Amino acid sequence: MNIEKRKAIEELVYRSCLALDGQDYKAFLSLCDESFRYSICTYSPEIRREMVWLDHDRKGMETLFTNLPRHNSDHSPLTRHATVYTVEEKGAEAEVVSALQVFKTQLDGGATELFAVGRFHDTVSLQKLKLERRLVRLETRLLGYGYHIPF
Amino acid sequence: MAKTAAQWEAKPKFPETHYVDSRVYTDEAIFEEEKEKLFKPSWIIACHESEMAAPYDYRLFKHPAGVPLIVIRGDDNKVRAFYNICPHRGNTILYDPAGNAKRLTCIFHQWSFDSRGNCIDISRAEQGYQQRFCKEDAAMREVRCEVAFGGFVWVNLTDDAPALREFIGSAMDILEPYMQQPMEVFHYHKAHVRTNFKLWHDTNSEFYHDYLHYFNRITGMMQPGYFDRKYTGFPNGHATVGSMQIQYDKYEGSKERAVGWPGLARGGWYMVDVFPGMTYNLRTSVLRIDTAIPLGPNEAIIEFRGLGLKSDTEEERRQRVFDHNMIWGPFGRNLHEDLLGVHGQGRALRKDSDARWILQGREENNTIHDEVGMRHYYAEWARRMGRPAYDPYREGKPGPVRAAA
Repeated sequence: MNIEKRKAIEELVYRSCLALDGQDYKAFLSLCDESFRYSICTYSPEIRREMVWLDHDRKGMETLFTNLPRHNSDHSPLTRHATVYTVEEKGAEAEVVSALQVFKTQLDGGATELFAVGRFHDTVSLQKLKLERRLVRLETRLLGYGYHIPF
Repeated sequence: MAKTAAQWEAKPKFPETHYVDSRVYTDEAIFEEEKEKLFKPSWIIACHESEMAAPYDYRLFKHPAGVPLIVIRGDDNKVRAFYNICPHRGNTILYDPAGNAKRLTCIFHQWSFDSRGNCIDISRAEQGYQQRFCKEDAAMREVRCEVAFGGFVWVNLTDDAPALREFIGSAMDILEPYMQQPMEVFHYHKAHVRTNFKLWHDTNSEFYHDYLHYFNRITGMMQPGYFDRKYTGFPNGHATVGSMQIQYDKYEGSKERAVGWPGLARGGWYMVDVFPGMTYNLRTSVLRIDTAIPLGPNEAIIEFRGLGLKSDTEEERRQRVFDHNMIWGPFGRNLHEDLLGVHGQGRALRKDSDARWILQGREENNTIHDEVGMRHYYAEWARRMGRPAYDPYREGKPGPVRAAA
């Protein structure tokens, strides 16, 4: 893969973080293909099982975002920090693995705490340069009182 | 008109059974007493049998009274519970939250125990102890343990406490018909919240807070039958909530839950609150179990489990997981709201915050917005603690602890 292509994929990942950080869901979805699927998964050493914590297609994500303002939610903003580790070209797609850290900043006083760590496992359409699949694989499972907006 | 300091301090205009002094949620001394009087003699859910399906499978559990436990399936398939404390020098015996161990060996000095709690090896025993101390003297401390009510593993730290069936009584009758098939845990997570554990149980004991949930307002609260749901109190502080028909398709992005639950009417929903801090919540296609583990007067871990049927096909399980996550997952619509609610209470109900009174005064013929569930809980709380919840330090006139109306 040439450097320009890799840089474009990296920028796609980073733009997805910026869009979600800014709660600009339209911008986030504009980075996603029509076939987009989003999941949050993690492994529980307590029950020794893989768990799915969220799983939506593009329509499901749109609905999730639409319903957000109807719910009572924690308004502390999140900051996603991603570092693209590997990009592997596989035919018309690229498999992209990125490290993810999510920070939460309290509205009152502005204290920032590490909220979660994990990895993005993205599938990117090389032709469209869009996200086809995002699997957020969390290491962190203790998320306090939770959050409504996906990572 | 807003209240003056004196008006704020004044006792609410309700019977004493219908409000609680906020110090029951904040005082360290009361919390320490709760561990002794509520948690030690009560039966507590440690885990589910599906978490330890094979012989020698074990699961660790931090008991709400503070005792670390190992729950292990023995070579004879019997589930037993022991202190996770080496009788030698008090080290932790098992560290990982779950696993499979034929021998339970303390890493410190390699003392080993079998799955029945017997000590089977003391390193260089004869040289050190001669005939003064042997393996029989070094057994693990066993804790009473029963598997019941849907395959859950219950433990009790008090050797002479009443049996589990006696403790539960008929409170679980409403759910027993739906727990006849083997179940399996597919979801587990903890929430760490700076709040008192009772506030979580209170939330599970009143449905007036459906106003908090957009999802519930749309799918349940505005639907026929909602106000027919009734609370029933049982001895020992347990309570149940009757069913209704949830209209899941009223929430955009949700849909009618096709997978259902054997014997349960489509869209049905039953709850059983078990004293002092557990809840069974069977909602259409998923059984959720909450276990509150207090860490201090204003700090608690809530364990959440989601269960389906062991016989589920891949598609059925996928649908149950989806249904669960929609409202009860860590990113679900309702769980975050409920936890945010008790987090807010934890912020406001602090020592010196002058929160003063918590009202439990709604009376609606025991129906869904009646606060009788909480009143029933605090009547039992008062009986066990020997303190009325409305006046825990008996600063008012002395008298017997009163039962809730």
